[in-house]
Amino acid sequence: MPGIGPKTASRLTFYLLRSSREQVQALADAIGQLHNKVVTCSMCFNIAETSPCAICGDAQRDGSLICVVEEPLDVLAIERTRAYDGLYHVLHGAISPLEGVGPEDLKIAELMQRLRRHPAEEVILATNPNLEGESTAMYVSQQLAPLGVRVTRLAHGLPMGADLEYADEVTLTRALEGRREM
Amino acid sequence: MTLRVGPRPLPLSPNIHAHKKIMHLTHLSLTNFRNYARLDLDFSNSITLLQGDNAQGKTNLLEAVYYLATANSPRAHTHRELINWLANEDQMPFARLEAKVEGTDALREVNIVLLKTADRLQKEIKINGVKRRVRDLIGQLKAVLFMPEDIDLIAGSPEARRRYLDTAICQIDRRYYQSLQEYSRVLTQRNSLLRRLREHPADPHQLDFWDQRLVEEGSRLIAGRLETVMELDRLLQDIHPRLTGGEERLRLLYRSRLPLEGKDRPEVYNQLPLDVSSPAGAMIGTDALSSLDVKAIFQQQLKVRQKEEIERGMTLMGPHRDDLRFLVGGVDMCTYGSRGQQRTIAISLKLAEMELIRSQTGEEPILLLDDVMSELDEERRQCLMDAINKEQQVIITATRLDCFAPSFLDQATVWAIRGGRIENLSP
Repeated sequence: MPGIGPKTASRLTFYLLRSSREQVQALADAIGQLHNKVVTCSMCFNIAETSPCAICGDAQRDGSLICVVEEPLDVLAIERTRAYDGLYHVLHGAISPLEGVGPEDLKIAELMQRLRRHPAEEVILATNPNLEGESTAMYVSQQLAPLGVRVTRLAHGLPMGADLEYADEVTLTRALEGRREM
Repeated sequence: MTLRVGPRPLPLSPNIHAHKKIMHLTHLSLTNFRNYARLDLDFSNSITLLQGDNAQGKTNLLEAVYYLATANSPRAHTHRELINWLANEDQMPFARLEAKVEGTDALREVNIVLLKTADRLQKEIKINGVKRRVRDLIGQLKAVLFMPEDIDLIAGSPEARRRYLDTAICQIDRRYYQSLQEYSRVLTQRNSLLRRLREHPADPHQLDFWDQRLVEEGSRLIAGRLETVMELDRLLQDIHPRLTGGEERLRLLYRSRLPLEGKDRPEVYNQLPLDVSSPAGAMIGTDALSSLDVKAIFQQQLKVRQKEEIERGMTLMGPHRDDLRFLVGGVDMCTYGSRGQQRTIAISLKLAEMELIRSQTGEEPILLLDDVMSELDEERRQCLMDAINKEQQVIITATRLDCFAPSFLDQATVWAIRGGRIENLSP
């Protein structure tokens, strides 16, 4: 398993040996149910217990706003901010020709279909600010152009609480380019 | 496509450094680097002479200094081979290089550890004890290396000339190193995509992003090279005649796969007279193309040749395919030069590089001369010695001491190298 080496594995085993029978059984049951209970949401392709997922099914949320991310973990990260109340779309990866990942391997066609069925006002591209993420964002925005939907990209810039003098040149250049009126 | 480069009436950029900064390597310490299991050596501020028979480790020592300056070796094919082969039997083979550098402003400690793990080679860089990246290292210590193999720069493959030019520019422009790294990442991705499109035809718009990034970084690289080649060419007009008794005029030519002549100035480059004494007015149009000009040409060419690139499954143009050529009297020295001519050109080029570092950064580069004296006749040896600044630090290797004038030896600290060990021969 990623992140767990032989030492951690044996430590976990001994921890479970010392735990009560009920606790271990509860964990075993949860793992056993993993594949039965967890599904991919048919709307946003996030991992969820129901389809549509809790976010897509929430009538309180703004359905005219769709945030496109690479991985389910990115949804969790944005949810933690509590600053976003629109919906999501998970691509399950980013375009990387080197690793043989092309647009057809991602949920891009599904995003197009979804937007044709339920037109949105704005699509926010929140892929990672690296080569692969940028190339994915550009490809998706090209595909979205004929739909006439507003497409935005997450801002690039300095992390909060950071020191200007320690920022690398690329980030600082981007931050200057993306400066705002005050 | 070729682009002939001419001298410019004004210096490339005004020298913003009022006075020269002095930089000295005061101490070098090596562990498991090449044939050195362990070495600690203090350097004098002027001339250090390393004497030893062949295969005792003289070149390795200069290579170590050069590696600390550029994070690049001119002769190692893989950085793995820099680690002492005896250390390879250890559980974790590693090599450690450390330099203490004394500048006008402060003392710097630069440290590189090469660690061989099961699947790859880790390079860890520290400056003053703080972990840094390669791009922070380059330029901390500036060095120009002369070695007998330099002749391959002229006679060898275009790849070697590109690598030389890139390393030289990196020492004066940190931004260039970043573009170089980014360009190679984009190039690998783009080539994979082109191969993919050849095997499974799909929407070629997927290329748009990679094209855009390739053009952005690529044109920055080409513009940087053009600027540097022009400046080197200008410096060579003074240097090369001195080395050849005024007989030869050397011109540099940056040969690009891109039609850099542009459509608005078609023949200027091709008809440029080789005679340097032409009035400055005739040289208009030889001004360096800005990266914007290059960008426009690059962009347009990628569009025109897209189908061909997909068919071949590779990127057919860009800085990774360009070349630098050397002309004497209009004759290409890479192909037609004699060995003697090629050797002299290599030395002229290195002297020009030294001057370039001086004028662009205001710092005196450390001069590393590997066994070059024995190959030169008296006149050229003198020229080389004249080019050395009195305040400059020089490290020279030689098999014998008798090719040096006694007055020269008096100024030098002499060390003897025997089988990876060093002893002081100076009184």
